[in-house]
Amino acid sequence: MRALPFSAGQAVLIAGNTLREAVRQKIIGLFLGLALALVIGARWFRDFNFGAPELKFLADCGLGAMTFFGSALAITATAQLFFGEIENRTVLTLLARPVRRSEFVVGKYWGLLVLLGAFCALLTAVLATVLWWREGELMRDFPAAFATGRVVNYAGVAVAGFLGWLKLSVLAGFTLLVASFAQTQLFAVVSGFFILVIGHLQYLAQEAYGRSEAWLARLGGGGLGLLFPNFNLFALADAFVGADLPAWSQIARLSLYGFGYLGTTCALAIFSFRHREI
Amino acid sequence: MPASPVAPQSVSAAAIELQGLVKDFAIGLRGVKLRAVDHLTLRIEPGQVFGLLGPNGSGKSTTIKLLLGLLAPTAGRGTIFGVPSERADARRTVGYLPEAPYFYGHLTGFELVRFYARLSGLGGRALDEGARAAIDRVEMTGAADRLVRNYSKGMLQRIGLAQAIVHQPQLLILDEPTAGVDPAGAAMIARLVLELKAEGKTVLITSHLLAQMEEVCDGVAILDRGRLIYQGRMADLPGRGNRQAMVLDALPPGELEELRAWLAARGRALHSVETPRAQLERVYLERVGKQEQS
Repeated sequence: MRALPFSAGQAVLIAGNTLREAVRQKIIGLFLGLALALVIGARWFRDFNFGAPELKFLADCGLGAMTFFGSALAITATAQLFFGEIENRTVLTLLARPVRRSEFVVGKYWGLLVLLGAFCALLTAVLATVLWWREGELMRDFPAAFATGRVVNYAGVAVAGFLGWLKLSVLAGFTLLVASFAQTQLFAVVSGFFILVIGHLQYLAQEAYGRSEAWLARLGGGGLGLLFPNFNLFALADAFVGADLPAWSQIARLSLYGFGYLGTTCALAIFSFRHREI
Repeated sequence: MPASPVAPQSVSAAAIELQGLVKDFAIGLRGVKLRAVDHLTLRIEPGQVFGLLGPNGSGKSTTIKLLLGLLAPTAGRGTIFGVPSERADARRTVGYLPEAPYFYGHLTGFELVRFYARLSGLGGRALDEGARAAIDRVEMTGAADRLVRNYSKGMLQRIGLAQAIVHQPQLLILDEPTAGVDPAGAAMIARLVLELKAEGKTVLITSHLLAQMEEVCDGVAILDRGRLIYQGRMADLPGRGNRQAMVLDALPPGELEELRAWLAARGRALHSVETPRAQLERVYLERVGKQEQS
């Protein structure tokens, strides 16, 4: 029987090294520190809440920090950790071992997914703690407003954290795909930010083209929607203060959508990197 | 040292065999082709120390990258112990030190060697023991727990050697291993190469330092603009006609004249009389060695 042309063990080793490299970098600690400061400090920004309920403001602030700093982390860490191997030529000694290029790309990606997972998990846990603590204070001060018990849906907080991670992972996947053929790290970073913007705004183009009577415009709109992920969909679980959790089937469909992009971008990155001369 | 985890596919096969290897690079927007390796055919037997020589840009490093599957050949093929070189398992038996190596700065020397050992299939007790033994062998024990980003160029070269030998490969490929290394480091590398040869390993080595290559190599090939222009054994290198060099105790001027006359009477000539000087490298190594011992 022929051996499978892929070793998960080699990919795990590379993922571990990628994660270790990321953890030992100051810039990544800086992103995490700033995001944590924003989540924890949001309580003291509540004078700027424009009248929204305080807990909703805290939640929005926490998820906003996760998206903003997480996006910056996903793009820069992917470009740096992948491209750094090529620029520093460490990839030569790595691929001179019995390591396939597919294992290298997948290993890098897995390392990044774990990094982003740890980032989102930590921020979600801190956000939930901040919300729990502040909700407890408000329950003591305004018992009438909490007559039916706690209003924050903590399962929703966890789902929001998971979907936030999925969105950042898709963004990292696209950045990895660009890095697999890019000639400079800057190009990969700039492309990553473009994809972030396109992913957030593409629904506007889709709506505009969808209303058009010209079949070419409709085709273009549909193609754009297929090519780039709609990042707005991942905000599904944002309304977890005083609201019910979205249906699990909806969350499952969204997860499938995200994992579909993860798999596709990773496969394309492998294909592109296999033909790259290093 | 622990036992080697991998064995060559075929002991009767050549350690390295290149057949009609060609590599073209496309340059610029118009894709003008630059031929870096031009129909290179080469066979290196197991157990040899083989030198690949040539000026800058002659295709030495490209040949090595083709051999390691880091580049795809335009034409031709290469094998390592009979296994096609583009296959990942061909590299199980190979240790590689690239030219001007740069390693993960976030790891310590020990972590780095251990990481490469795991990628090569070492595990369990053999992993840590193998990593320590390799680090000892390149005399880096004292710096093994320091971050690689703080290493000097010579230390990078040594730790690079440790990662190349940690899994006890049958074939070691060293691309300019003595570039930027001080004489003591270069002597250590030469000693290590000879030890590996004594263990039956095959070593492919590129260098510009021809004197060092003469010391360690059994065979050499010279490349120029990607073409093989010479291949042979060191033992077969031609001597300088029928001349001989002798080192004698110093002769007083009178006796030297007698010797000259004696030779002239037999139709021979004494071409030069020189006072041999101590080699600078030997003096350096002796002094540096004493300093380290004290």
